[in-house]
Amino acid sequence: MGKRPPIDNRVRELREQHGGLTQAALGEAIGLTRQTVIAIEQNRYSPSLETAFRIARLFDVGVEDVFIWTE
Amino acid sequence: MPFREKSAWIMSVALLFGGAFYFFAVLSGSSAAGGLISPNIPLIVIYTVCLVVIATAGHIVIAMLAPKDANAPVDEREQQIFIRAGHYSSYLIGLGIVLSLGLYIVGGSGDLLFYTVFASLMIGQTAEYLLQILFYRT
Repeated sequence: MGKRPPIDNRVRELREQHGGLTQAALGEAIGLTRQTVIAIEQNRYSPSLETAFRIARLFDVGVEDVFIWTE
Repeated sequence: MPFREKSAWIMSVALLFGGAFYFFAVLSGSSAAGGLISPNIPLIVIYTVCLVVIATAGHIVIAMLAPKDANAPVDEREQQIFIRAGHYSSYLIGLGIVLSLGLYIVGGSGDLLFYTVFASLMIGQTAEYLLQILFYRT
């Protein structure tokens, strides 16, 4: 949605590391639709800080291990 | 496709069909009468019923096809999509209202004022749903 943010992420990689968690399952666990998870993985959408923490906590890593500032 | 994008498609189609029906009826009635006909309640009732029937039937079908998605709450990205689409479409409605008022000042026709304001609302609402679809896809 709009300009791409200068933020990369490892959501897809972390999903695959955690037993191939599906996009739908990840979305359900953190209160997002599957399409929003897809948008995050494709860098089309930057999640809120709360969601970023929820994702990081789900994978048991820090927020900066999931989201990387690219500029 | 997310449930609410499907919903936006249904509402866009319902509004486009409803609007086309309504203004076709007004224009054909006006050409037969040799002048702009006054707004009449039966036509508005038919328009409203058509809109409600298409919207309700469409939503029942998509909810039956994906009941889980239908019951899922709106997420943060969807909230942003709705806010942005509503924001931009409100400009369109405002512009339509201003143009309608301008036409009224120039022509002084209350009937034309009704139709142009009604059209502005229809166009603004349709634009809101079309923008939602666009934002879902970008």
